[in-house]
Amino acid sequence: MRIEKCYFCSGPVYPGHGMMFVRNDCKSFRFCRSKCHKNFKKKRNPRKTRWTKAFRKASGKELTVDNALEFEKRRNMPVKYNRAIWDKTVEAMKRVEEIKRKRQARFIMNRLKKGIQLKKEEDIVEVKKNIHLIKAPHAGKAKQLEAKMVQKLQEDVDMADEDL
Amino acid sequence: MALSLLSRSLAGLLVESSSITHQRTFSVSAVAAAIQKMTRVRVVDNSSLGNTPYHRAPRVIHVYTQNGIGKVGDKVLLAIKGQKKKALIVGHKMPGDRMTPRFDSNNVVLIEDNGNPTGTRIKVPIPTHLRKHEGEYSKVLAIASAFV
Repeated sequence: MRIEKCYFCSGPVYPGHGMMFVRNDCKSFRFCRSKCHKNFKKKRNPRKTRWTKAFRKASGKELTVDNALEFEKRRNMPVKYNRAIWDKTVEAMKRVEEIKRKRQARFIMNRLKKGIQLKKEEDIVEVKKNIHLIKAPHAGKAKQLEAKMVQKLQEDVDMADEDL
Repeated sequence: MALSLLSRSLAGLLVESSSITHQRTFSVSAVAAAIQKMTRVRVVDNSSLGNTPYHRAPRVIHVYTQNGIGKVGDKVLLAIKGQKKKALIVGHKMPGDRMTPRFDSNNVVLIEDNGNPTGTRIKVPIPTHLRKHEGEYSKVLAIASAFV
């Protein structure tokens, strides 16, 4: 028993689910559900269909190169059965799965961090544009002018003191 | 009493209306056909009879089942190159049982009367659920190189 991958969406196909199609060039395609099967029959390219994993990996939205993903690659060398290896493998699978999930999550978080920065800049621009909704245009002008005049007078007095 | 009369008349009405609707409807039985007489098939082994070109495609002229419908694992009689030959169905375009693959063409393997295959190799993938007829078709399974 083996959990296959759907050709279109790369999701898991559990036994008893989905459909398999064998083309005349002897290439077989597995689909997890009729949605993927129908899209395939419409000749859609999974690398261009936005909701598939193939698209996400091809457009850099998800982790592609990682050691944790190497474990999933299919090997064509059968391993001689050994109970110890079997037990260790099961434990290793759990740990590798954990690590893989964390790395994938971190990759996505890092990708989305840029958004926070952009949002902040956007917010600043928005506030500057609509400042008239928060503060009246000539709100503090009178006080500012007064403060300026006071400062100027002070400067004049200082200069006069210096001359003297 | 009035109620019973009412209910009876209502029932009568209902019966009449159902009969009317019954007359209007027609029965549609799904034709669960896969391979039947006169279907053109594709021979997938490497026998000379199956691979030499002929101006007419190999056709099914008889299906050895109770109803005339042939699914994977059924024997059929083919007309190839003006001769009659038995064959085994190894894949059809019609979606079959769950967990069985669907093929892009109606594939067939030429067979003798005793069940021995005519060719020596089958390159096209063969569905694994043929293995349950291990006794009859063991020789055909033996010459298959790919299973699906």
